[in-house]
Amino acid sequence: MRIKNQLSAYLFVLSAFCISLPEVHAQETKITRDNIRFIDYPGFPEGSSSWDDIGYNPVFNSVFVGTTNHKDKVALYEFDANRDSMKFHGFIGDLVNLRSFQWQAKIHTKFVADAQGNMYAATDGGESREEYLMDHPHGYAGGFFLKWDAANQKLVNLGMGLQYESVKDIDIDITTGKLYAVSYPQVHFTIYDPAKNDFRDLGRVGSAHVPRVMFSDQWGNCYYVDWRQRFVKYEKKSDKLLFDDKSIPAFPGTPGEHIITGITAFAKDKINNVIYFLTYGAKVMAFYPQESGIGRVKDLGGVIDVPGIEKWNFYVPNLNVGDNGKLYYFIGGHGKYAKKGYSLLMEFDPASGEKKVVSEFSENELVEATGSDTKDKEGNMYFAGKREVSLDEKTKNKVFSEAGSKPTVPFLIKFNPGKKIN
Amino acid sequence: MRVIIIAIFLSAACKLQAQFTFFSPKDAFAIEVSLDNTSLKRLPVYRNSISSLIVSGDYILGGTSADKGLSPYLFTASLSRRDMASIVDLEKIIPGQKTVQTGFCLANKNQFFAGTIGNGESADGHLMELQLKNDGGIDVKDLGVPVPHEGIFSLLINRAKTKMYGITFPSGKFFSYDLKTKVTDVFDDVAPAKKDIGKFNEFSLKPENYLCKALIEDSKGLIYGSAPVNKLFYFDPASKKFNEFAELPDVWGRTVMGQVETWAKSNDGKLYGGNAGDGQLFIVDPVTKKVKNLGKPIMMNRLRGLAFGNDGKLYGIAGALPGYAHLFSYDPKQEGFKDLGNPSFTMKSPGIEQGIDWRGFQLGTIASSEDGKYIVMGEDESLSQLLIFPVSKN
Repeated sequence: MRIKNQLSAYLFVLSAFCISLPEVHAQETKITRDNIRFIDYPGFPEGSSSWDDIGYNPVFNSVFVGTTNHKDKVALYEFDANRDSMKFHGFIGDLVNLRSFQWQAKIHTKFVADAQGNMYAATDGGESREEYLMDHPHGYAGGFFLKWDAANQKLVNLGMGLQYESVKDIDIDITTGKLYAVSYPQVHFTIYDPAKNDFRDLGRVGSAHVPRVMFSDQWGNCYYVDWRQRFVKYEKKSDKLLFDDKSIPAFPGTPGEHIITGITAFAKDKINNVIYFLTYGAKVMAFYPQESGIGRVKDLGGVIDVPGIEKWNFYVPNLNVGDNGKLYYFIGGHGKYAKKGYSLLMEFDPASGEKKVVSEFSENELVEATGSDTKDKEGNMYFAGKREVSLDEKTKNKVFSEAGSKPTVPFLIKFNPGKKIN
Repeated sequence: MRVIIIAIFLSAACKLQAQFTFFSPKDAFAIEVSLDNTSLKRLPVYRNSISSLIVSGDYILGGTSADKGLSPYLFTASLSRRDMASIVDLEKIIPGQKTVQTGFCLANKNQFFAGTIGNGESADGHLMELQLKNDGGIDVKDLGVPVPHEGIFSLLINRAKTKMYGITFPSGKFFSYDLKTKVTDVFDDVAPAKKDIGKFNEFSLKPENYLCKALIEDSKGLIYGSAPVNKLFYFDPASKKFNEFAELPDVWGRTVMGQVETWAKSNDGKLYGGNAGDGQLFIVDPVTKKVKNLGKPIMMNRLRGLAFGNDGKLYGIAGALPGYAHLFSYDPKQEGFKDLGNPSFTMKSPGIEQGIDWRGFQLGTIASSEDGKYIVMGEDESLSQLLIFPVSKN
């Protein structure tokens, strides 16, 4: 499956060479580069990306991020939004005393907070290396659940999930502190109660590719998707998985590998009890959760309209909702771009359905942004970004020249559409 | 220029593929058996682990295992239509059952026998007779309880189609059932003794980990199986005597884990067996009663199923949780073992007409079609599907 995706990525880039894409111009808007800031991570020059591992701590008004060299080192950062400062907490292997045979290549999950301001995440083996070596004496042991103990300012190892399996995403039941998680590559939906050290495996719910995103609601229910892109809800009241009888809408012609990959990002409008989300088939959805039963889904249309590109063929692994009620997301990544060589920052008004490009960034500025629902008290939104390294940088810097054919540099994106922050 | 670019990208893609591939032969496909909350003919979650399989003409007949407290299903799927044909909720016919894991014993055309394990300790397992109809429907008849308070762990019908032989659960007693007289004879000879159970407890093994999971008959009518601890036996129906004739191949320190969980008979009458304990494939010569260890197809334990294709190769499933199952082939003449890894086949169905990839991680059962042209695998998951691939002589 991954090979197929990589092949499609190659072919997509190839098509970008061979077909003349229509130009996408940033429309006139009050949002300028002064509304956005890129913040560096100190202390880990070989860090290459940060995937989806970002999350907001509402108790301490801070943003947690993990960055990785995509091999065997994961650095933990906390951005203090009050002081506007980034802190490097250390490498997770050292912080929780992992041995060499317990190597971890990423945190792929988001960071989630409990009511006391402790943060949770889980680790990942890093795909190819992990899969080659599963069930092997030198292989991947499995992903660990981690807790940032806010009171004692230390990272705590909560133990492993399923043996040999990575953890691709987690979320939390804010009322009980129970963690929901999905494993890779076998797509098992699991529940872990840190208070009782009770780990439950509710079984496989997906196909050949693991949907990367799950989310919870105000009652502590958790939502995921099956291979038909139908909602799978862990309904807390009944302690059961519920399967929706219909699929989340998709554009006609959406390929199977996009359907089975499900949701790419979400953002919660807590005032109106709406959870917005994006699909791997490039649709914007509004979801109205309810305590019992699945809830209603409203199709808000595509993430962007570009003549000549299939409506489903855009990659958007990030989403935030602004204090103005509008959705913000960056289009681009994994070889898929609405405009060749550029990531586009989009504004989407769920009320009117109007969407526009508010800014665009070259690959050397921003090649991919990830992250869901990360907004501080001031209404600043955060994304986990990365940029490609220029040829010049690669030549001059040994870290980049040794980092493979296309080295990247991670950074934190801070964005506020209503305020200059630069 | 365009051609050069295509060549560069395809070459890069091929390199990637060479590093990591799934078993995806041409014309392989998956059938969606399980899907919760649907109007389609599908099995619900936690009641669909495919633990028994046989192919009869165009129909795949399957039996499932359910999670604790839930009941299993019988189902058929069509090879030609690549879709489910019928489902039978066993709870409506024989209430209180949990598992159909004996496989299906073919009696006459379209007539099969199977056994069940009940929910809860000391639950009665039933024998049942299944009639496969032309439209894929299944008629099920409850033949009652051969051994009270025991489930049926494994079952075999003799070639004469006059008697069935089985192992009970959890006691591990051997029994015979006369199809004409309906009389059951029960034998304690291969059931674990108290001292054996003590050994199993030291390894935290439960009856499902040490009882004989499969029986087979040789050309002379002797019935073969495994007995605690790590023994191979045969039963002579004429003398009603048991003979322990060999040890199962083992790995040092793990002898106590020996358990036959599958058999397949080759055209020359040799018996191929799979040892769950450490995943060895072995062969029994029924004339000399000599056992040869053919080795382990992969590094894990478990060898869950074997089936011959019409290409002369033996296909099998090695490994299980906490790892992945691997499909493997064994060519006795040339190739030996080949680890085919996880299969990944396209699954099409109403609502997913474009097709999606289905990767088989936990494969529990395997069977070949009557002509040997298809190999069918059943998953052992919370939502299990069928994975099917064609084999050819060339």
